[in-house]
Amino acid sequence: MVDLKELQDKAKEVISRDDVRRLIGWQRGTYGFESAPIVVTDASDADKLIFDPTCVQNPASFITLEEKRPVPRGQEPDTRKVAVMVKGCDSRAIVQQLVEKAYPRENMIVMGMPCRGVIDRRKAAALFGDVTPDEVKLDGDKVVVSLNSETKELARGDILADKCMRCRYPNPLVSDELMTEEVEKWGADEFADVDEFEKMSPADKWKFWEEQFSKCIRCYSCRNVCPMCYCVECVVAKLKPQWTRRSTDISENAAYHVQRAWHLSGRCIECMECQRVCPVDIPIMTLNRKMTRDVKEMFDYEPGVDVEAEPLLACYNPQDPEDYIM
Amino acid sequence: MSEEFEPNIVAFLCNWCSYAGADLAGTSRTQYLPNIKIIRVMCSGRVNPLFLLNALQQGADGVLISGCHPGDCHYLEGNFYARRRFMLMHKLLEHVGVDPGRVNMSWVSASEGVKFKDVIEEVVTSVKEAGPMDQFRRRQLNW
Repeated sequence: MVDLKELQDKAKEVISRDDVRRLIGWQRGTYGFESAPIVVTDASDADKLIFDPTCVQNPASFITLEEKRPVPRGQEPDTRKVAVMVKGCDSRAIVQQLVEKAYPRENMIVMGMPCRGVIDRRKAAALFGDVTPDEVKLDGDKVVVSLNSETKELARGDILADKCMRCRYPNPLVSDELMTEEVEKWGADEFADVDEFEKMSPADKWKFWEEQFSKCIRCYSCRNVCPMCYCVECVVAKLKPQWTRRSTDISENAAYHVQRAWHLSGRCIECMECQRVCPVDIPIMTLNRKMTRDVKEMFDYEPGVDVEAEPLLACYNPQDPEDYIM
Repeated sequence: MSEEFEPNIVAFLCNWCSYAGADLAGTSRTQYLPNIKIIRVMCSGRVNPLFLLNALQQGADGVLISGCHPGDCHYLEGNFYARRRFMLMHKLLEHVGVDPGRVNMSWVSASEGVKFKDVIEEVVTSVKEAGPMDQFRRRQLNW
C-alpha cells in the first residue's frame, strides 16, 4: 500500500524545486467513489494529495490543456517543468504523447504510481447507491470499503473498472521515479468483448449504435477528457469547412463518433476516461476497443508502449493487408 | 416503386492513375455504369476519411477510393498511407453496422481502362446489394 505521508513528502520535495512549476495528482473527492484531480503549485497544498483505488482520473489529460499564450515583449517564457503522477494506464498516454512529440520529455517529471486497480463509479453506485465512502483500499484479492463505520469486503471484479481486470501494464512504462515498489502483473487481454460484439449481424449492430448515438448530447466530454485529443482546433469545432453540424441528430452524432474513433485508432491507450465521463452512458470504448484490436491484428502495433515508435498512421509497411481492395 | 434502385456512388480518383484510367475508358469508348460521380484528387493519400463520412451523410450510397498500384504512387508513398487509413475506416464502419460493401478501394493504373470499367461494375453491384444508405444520411431540416 502507498504510504501517504511518504508520497506527500516526496511531492513537497518535488514542488519546492526551483525548476518545477506545478504538480498534477489526485485529492479526496467531494462525493461518491471518485477522487478529484488537483494541480499543486505550492508546497503547502501537497498535503492534499492522496493515492487509493478512487484515483481513477488520468492526470496525463491535463498536461496538454495548458494554453500557450504569446509571451509579452521583454518577458521570458516559463520553461519550468511540470510534474505529473501517473498510474500504469496513464503512463501509456504520456508515452503516446511523447511519440507524437506533443512536448519534450525533459519538460516533464513523471512520478510513477504502480497501481492495482481503480473503482468504477457505476459499479459502485449499483452496489452502494449514492453514498460517499470513508475509505477504500485494496487488501490482497479483496476491495475493502469502509462506509458509515462499517467495512465491507468485495471481490475485485465486482467493483473495479473493466480496464483494470484486463490491465497488462499496472506499472508505469515511463517514469523518473516510482513512488512505491512495482506490482505484479495479473491481467491478459483477449478482446473477448470485441469478439462477442462482432457476432451480431450488421442490422443488429446498427440498431444498437443507433440507439446509443441517439442518446448523445454532444457535450464533447469524451473529447475533452481524452489525453490523446489535444488538437489546437478540433475538427468538430471547425466552421470552414464544417464537417459535422452541431445538431444532435443521428446523422451528425454517428459521424462524430465514427470520426472520433477513427482519429483515435492506433492512438487510444484505453484509459477508458471517455466512457467514464459520458453523462448519457454511451459505451464509447466499444468502438475504441475494436480499433485497438484491429490495429494490433493488422499492423502488429500497440500504441503507448514504446517511446521510440512511429505513430501508426504516419508510417506504412509495403506488406500491409489489403484484402478488401479490388 | 417498381423501378430498380440506382445507387449514387462518389469516386475519389487520383489524378495520376485512376483518373487517367477513367479517361482512357472514356476515350476508348468503354461503356461503364453511370452511377459514379467522380471527384479528382491529386493523390489517394489526400482523401481524408471525413470525405467518406461526409459523402455518406450527404446522400451517397457508396464510396470508391481509387489510386495508383502500391509502389507506383506519383508521390512515392501516398497510397500506402491511404491503404492503412481506409483499412481502418472500413473495419470501423463495419463495426458500426454500415454495410462493408459501401466502402470500396481499388488500384487502377492509367493504362487499365477496362479494369476501371470492371471495378465500377463490381462497386455498383455491391452497393446495390447494400441498398439505399439511410442509416446516417443527413435529413432535410424543416424550419
